[in-house]
Amino acid sequence: MAGGKIKKSIDEASLEMIDKAAQDGVTTAFDRAEEMSQCAIGAAGSCCKNCGMGPCRVLTFKGQEKAARGICGATAETIAARNFIRMVAGGAAAHSDHGRGVTELFLAMAKGKAPGYEIRDEQKLLQLALEWGVEIGGRSNQEIAIDVGEIALAEFGKQEGELVTLSRAPLKRQELWQREGVAPRGIDREIVEIMHRTHIGVDQDYHNLLKQGVRAAIGDGWGGSMIATELQDILFGTPAPVLGRVNLGVLKQDEVNLIIHGHEPLLSEMIVAVAQDPQMLELAKSKGSNGINISGMCCTANEILMRHGVPIAGNFLQQELAIVTGAVDAMVVDIQCIMQSIATVAECYHTKIITTSPKAKIPGATHIEFDEHNALEGARTIVKTAIENFPNRGSNIWIPDKQTDMVAGFSHETINYLLGGLFRASYRPLNDNIINGRIRGVAGVVGCNNARAKHNEGHVTMVKELIKNDVLVITTGCNAIACGEAGLMVPEAAVEYAGEGLASVCETVGIPPVLHMGSCVDNSRILMAATAMVKDGGLGDDISDLPVAGAAPEWMSEKAISIGQYFVASGVFTVFGVTWPTIGNDEVTRHLFEDFEAMYGGMWAFEPDSIKAAHLMISHIDKKREALGIDKARERVLYDMEMRRELDAV
Amino acid sequence: MEYEIEEKSAPGREKVEVLGATYEAGKPDGEGLGRWRQKLSSREEKLKYLRAGERYWYGKDWYGSEKRKNPA
Repeated sequence: MAGGKIKKSIDEASLEMIDKAAQDGVTTAFDRAEEMSQCAIGAAGSCCKNCGMGPCRVLTFKGQEKAARGICGATAETIAARNFIRMVAGGAAAHSDHGRGVTELFLAMAKGKAPGYEIRDEQKLLQLALEWGVEIGGRSNQEIAIDVGEIALAEFGKQEGELVTLSRAPLKRQELWQREGVAPRGIDREIVEIMHRTHIGVDQDYHNLLKQGVRAAIGDGWGGSMIATELQDILFGTPAPVLGRVNLGVLKQDEVNLIIHGHEPLLSEMIVAVAQDPQMLELAKSKGSNGINISGMCCTANEILMRHGVPIAGNFLQQELAIVTGAVDAMVVDIQCIMQSIATVAECYHTKIITTSPKAKIPGATHIEFDEHNALEGARTIVKTAIENFPNRGSNIWIPDKQTDMVAGFSHETINYLLGGLFRASYRPLNDNIINGRIRGVAGVVGCNNARAKHNEGHVTMVKELIKNDVLVITTGCNAIACGEAGLMVPEAAVEYAGEGLASVCETVGIPPVLHMGSCVDNSRILMAATAMVKDGGLGDDISDLPVAGAAPEWMSEKAISIGQYFVASGVFTVFGVTWPTIGNDEVTRHLFEDFEAMYGGMWAFEPDSIKAAHLMISHIDKKREALGIDKARERVLYDMEMRRELDAV
Repeated sequence: MEYEIEEKSAPGREKVEVLGATYEAGKPDGEGLGRWRQKLSSREEKLKYLRAGERYWYGKDWYGSEKRKNPA
């Protein structure tokens, strides 16, 4: 964000805590973003540090585009493309390693080596068995699960062929991926190949580099992330609508506050269970508290909210602010989006930071390693640590009195069920309402917070503009939390914020105009919902025919780039805000923003103004409606027998 | 429940009063409410639902838009 001070958040609870942090002399990401300006060359994607001859700054100026080269001779295009797909690799690796962790736990559970875990959703297990050709017959769930788990685990290291999960995509999309040569062979292989190709002196054709980025991203969305979502559903239950509360006001003055932050639900599920243990509650009371209050942060929050109704304390930029309340007795973290500074902020209060993953340690934090073979015991130790820290609270406690209701847990299976019940579950009502124009289209709005932009403003502004224009919004991750905090995730929000058509559908079905679909790996649920819309019929033969669009208005992580890339590769027009990582190179940016449409049916766009970005999405939706011939209301004609005979004769 | 009365008009017709939109709290509460998958108890029921409800992927006789004779 160029120049000047910006107001830091649209969320009042966050603003209160930003002020408190200043009073307490605590520095947060909001302060650091103001103090530290971005490296303009790096932000534009024009810096190459992939070898010891660099970093090479390859800026392109008008009229000198061809002259710009790194020491090795790499052009500005090569460098921008390398940097971009390395971001894809980082994001795809993060999601997919999450998926691998879930798969390993799933297999351990199936083999009886992970006490405390069980199969909670047999139906989802049967789904995967049907899809992957695993014999069901009279076999036990455990036997089926072992076969399913082994197939899933093999997907990560597979070297040939293509991922089994690709068969879920619309047929036309599968053919397109094969034709373009981007069907992933194995999840890990495509990521490794990016690292190889971007090493000095390997792939130096930006078209070819970006193509590999597409391949790895598909391996994320339709592979690693999808496997994570599916196996988590089997282990912990497929989400269904549940009422929760969101924002820093969910913390309690008189109870032990334990925040679970990160991404994997493996440990958090156990902590939620242990916190209800009468022995633990007794211990909490013996320390002077009235109970144990578990809340979530970031994507872990989405996971435990939609399965247990556990409240959400906040999204990415609220992690430090939660500690600033002075009321958090412990914050337990696993992987991804965890700021190292939480340990520093915690030093100013009494909060214990507990790391649990061998992959993610923080100096100054207490490490209690998560072991799936002994998960319950680990969870007990963590909850006990929080309880024992309760008496150490200082007097400087201030919990903002702000929390909002939100309904979460709209898996694509649940949407199917909600639109027709058990006996006529269907996406037909959604498609019909898109065809008749009550719903203009569907937008997937997802992604992070970015301290370079006003907290939550991009998310909420964009989503309000979309629903006002009758675009149904489906959301995950930090966008979901921002929408929850803004009160957009209750059915009543339809009457206040949605256009007349969308509001009428929301009223009929009893859903909010913004549907919470989970955490960032659960963007795979959005792919499945889009596929169901295609397969139900009437809106074209491929995801790229649908009147849909995607966005990440406050993105910051490499995971967001990978998500955006697999949305685009699946045929979705996708707009990112705040900044764009190839903005320094017109040629690469044009390829991503324009050429990709002809190749994949979906393309990228960059627009930092959320209202303008929403209108880009609406324009794209209208373009698709026009192509489908549903842009104008048509007169209904009741055919009599004579007219039908004439029709048959044609 | 209290209904709001709205006035609606249509071309060529006089204005009429109709019951307005009602937005009940609509928030699920109580353990298990909304957990629809538990309604299917036996494996046979679950498989049957998959083939019917989730026919897009698991129904053998599903003939969706993408398999039509004339592509869109």
